[in-house]
Amino acid sequence: MGLSLSVRGLHSFYGRAHILADVSLEAAAGEVVALLGRNGAGKSTTLKSIIGIVRPAQGAVELDGARISGEPPHRICRRGLGYVPEERRVFASLTVNGNLEVGRQPPRPGLTPWTPARLFELFPNLAGMGDRTAGQMSGGEQQMLTIARTLMGNPALVLLDEPSEGLAPVIVEQMVRAIRALKKEGLAIVLSEQNVNFAMKVADRAYIIEKGRIRHQCTIDELMADEAMRRTYLTV
Amino acid sequence: MGGDLGFYLVQALTGLSSASALFLVASGLSIIFGVTRVVNFAHGSFYMLGAYIAYTLIGHLGGALGFWVAVLLAGVAVGIIGVVVELLILRRVYQAPELFQLVATFGVILVIQDLALLVWGAEDLFGPAAPGLEGTVNLLGTRLPEYDLALIALSLFVLGALWLLFQRTRWGTLVRAATEDREMVGALGVNQAWLFTGAFFLGSMLAGLGGAAQLPKGGADLLMDFNILAAVFVVVVVGGMGSIAGAFLAAVLISELGAFGILLIPQSTLVLMFAVMAVVLIFRPWGLLGRPEAPGQHGQAGPPEPPLRPPPPRLRAAGLLLLAALLALPAFADDFTLVLAVEIAIMALFAASLHFAMGPGGMVSFGHAAFFGGGAYAAALLVKYAGSPMEVALLFAPAMAGVLALVFGWFCVRLTGVYLAMLTLAFAQVGWSIVFQWGEVTGGDDGILGIWPSEWASDRLAFYYLSVLASAGGILALQYVLHSPFGYAMRACRDSVVRSASIGIDVQRQQWLAFAFSGALAGLAGGLFVFSKGSVFPDEMSIPRSFDALIMVLLGGVKTLLGPIAGAVTFTWLQDEISRLEYWRLILGALIIAIVVAFPQGVAGFLRARAGPWFGIREMEA
Ligand SMILES: Nc1ncnc2c1ncn2[C@@H]1O[C@H](COP(=O)(O)OP(=O)(O)OP(=O)(O)O)[C@@H](O)[C@H]1O
Ligand SMILES: [Mg+2]
Repeated sequence: MGLSLSVRGLHSFYGRAHILADVSLEAAAGEVVALLGRNGAGKSTTLKSIIGIVRPAQGAVELDGARISGEPPHRICRRGLGYVPEERRVFASLTVNGNLEVGRQPPRPGLTPWTPARLFELFPNLAGMGDRTAGQMSGGEQQMLTIARTLMGNPALVLLDEPSEGLAPVIVEQMVRAIRALKKEGLAIVLSEQNVNFAMKVADRAYIIEKGRIRHQCTIDELMADEAMRRTYLTV
Repeated sequence: MGGDLGFYLVQALTGLSSASALFLVASGLSIIFGVTRVVNFAHGSFYMLGAYIAYTLIGHLGGALGFWVAVLLAGVAVGIIGVVVELLILRRVYQAPELFQLVATFGVILVIQDLALLVWGAEDLFGPAAPGLEGTVNLLGTRLPEYDLALIALSLFVLGALWLLFQRTRWGTLVRAATEDREMVGALGVNQAWLFTGAFFLGSMLAGLGGAAQLPKGGADLLMDFNILAAVFVVVVVGGMGSIAGAFLAAVLISELGAFGILLIPQSTLVLMFAVMAVVLIFRPWGLLGRPEAPGQHGQAGPPEPPLRPPPPRLRAAGLLLLAALLALPAFADDFTLVLAVEIAIMALFAASLHFAMGPGGMVSFGHAAFFGGGAYAAALLVKYAGSPMEVALLFAPAMAGVLALVFGWFCVRLTGVYLAMLTLAFAQVGWSIVFQWGEVTGGDDGILGIWPSEWASDRLAFYYLSVLASAGGILALQYVLHSPFGYAMRACRDSVVRSASIGIDVQRQQWLAFAFSGALAGLAGGLFVFSKGSVFPDEMSIPRSFDALIMVLLGGVKTLLGPIAGAVTFTWLQDEISRLEYWRLILGALIIAIVVAFPQGVAGFLRARAGPWFGIREMEA
């Protein structure tokens, strides 16, 4: 089964720069939540603060009620939180199989374990590429590989940082299908996006972040209906 | 004819066999660096320990089997020592600026030197022959020791085993991934701490194995640590940091050049090493099989600095007060104190010159003693062979050191970060070898004696004023240049190569000149040093001398010019106190380690956080 995530009153800094101020959000099992905002709004920092790469100065992150903030990233990951970074941080000198191996963690009770074979079904583009060096793949293929790599850890909840960034329309469609498939598996997903159209295709609810603060939260249907709000906070 | 061919064949195989130790140590260094980003200076010490431990073990286990078991066990033992060092020391300072980890490993070198002295004594140990491999084989009429073949087989075996480990095991895959992106590996659920410890075990074990395996050829002595370090750095820079195959290739290349170069011109090994490095660095600055490092990844201590401002009034007043106190000192102090004060002043200039290259210049030099010693020898040689007076020699010292820095710097500025730093160390060691080996001119180990100041300065008081004023003048010159357009351009190059180039700064030229200026002032310090001691020895060019300056700068902090001065005062005084004791290296090393562990931001960083605001030093807004 998926896990539920609860973030309350998060404050994060880079050095002395106060980046996140009082960020709170929730994601229930099986739910896809979008974190929307413009460049530099603090989306990536929010996700990094949840996984523990950035250590929040204040506030709490809870996974099914258990506090995880303050733990190192590898512990948080092993509790079932998967993190997919922005900008395709694949291990460029490793093969596709090598990248998947790095992500591999023991199966999680209640979830069908991911294997390379199952992942190649989810991302047909990667099929047959097992021995290809990751650095020599296209941007879209690398993006899929970063997601597949994280799934090898059998997470119950996945943080996706801008999954649609820089993808060709055909590949975006595949990404939409993959995210829907993950939702069907019962995973909770928190994805950050600038691309509202992409978010509207996959998400159930949305949080809008600006200058490190959550400005608004609503369902995706409400967001679709409210063009004024989209104009105010987002690039359309 | 057959004899000739056989001779060349044997020469080639001899070269290969001497590549074996280089390869083992260099690949270990590479593995540790790849995962932990620590350049383990103590790697040469691990190599030395391997030889000593194997010596003892072989004494206990007899026979051919016993010999190889002992070699293997020595490797494992050194691997465990590496793990202890990692767990007890480095693990506590991974968060600190990178250079502090280097200082910590330097402390380890000192401790191991004295421990080895304590356990195995000062005498060089003669290595026992490997049972069953004492003979020679006849190759087309020329004889080759059987053990050389065993060493070649060993390095090929290790190369194969490492390849399997890194390509075929999960651990190897994780290590390769961590070498690329540690943070991501952590976010994927891998506990980096154990990866680091594992890398330290493997890397140290390889160094120990290298030392143990060369025992029958080279024996064990207390100079092994630094002797191999420079060669290993060259191998790693030429082969490419983080590449095992590159380490192998470079070790073979350098050893073969050594084996054949010696036939053409004896003593040409060093020149050839230069030539190879020059060619490789011009065409492949990241080494034969290495990958470029991301800009700004290494060599910088801490986050970016705030814009440079002229020293705040209170700090300036403190500086003037210090100078006034120095000028008044002779009225209160005895002769011993004055001698110590002279040394401190000279070391402050030396440290400040290194700080200039390291802090604002962004070029960390591990081999600044090359210029200090270069200046010292330039002055001493001029006096000895041309009978020139002190005044001329004191001008000659910085000039020659500057020229030397121009030559070395030409290579170094083609690199950045840790590559640059390792290259400076290799160059300095080359300089050391030259003065050490070229006995007819430099006096070799006996040094050059009887270099005294001119008549007017021979009085203790006069020389005190001379050296304090010259050092202060040198430091002020550094400060002046730092605040000149040249200094601003230099800082711009450090902070962003791309942007500096785009506003029309010739980055490499800028750094080259900065490096030379820094070298020249180190040379002035060296010149003063000769006249203060009346003599010069190869030690002034050695690795420990380079580290003295590095430690002064790092303890004092790279952020302000006052840092290296404070570092010089503390460290020189401390060394003066401790070096009278037997086993002073052990004490000093332990002290250095303790300081690094206790104050991972440097003593100066600690003090600045407390006292800085009063002096008007603002902490950086990172
Ligand atoms: N490592 C860092 N050090 C200092 N400041 C940073 C760092 N990373 C991000 N920032 C700053 O933090 C703020 C939020 O950045 P963040 O990456 O979270 O934004 P984002 O919403 O993900 O933007 P994008 O859509 O461009 O990815 C920005 O102002 C950015 O400049
Ligand atoms: Mg982002």
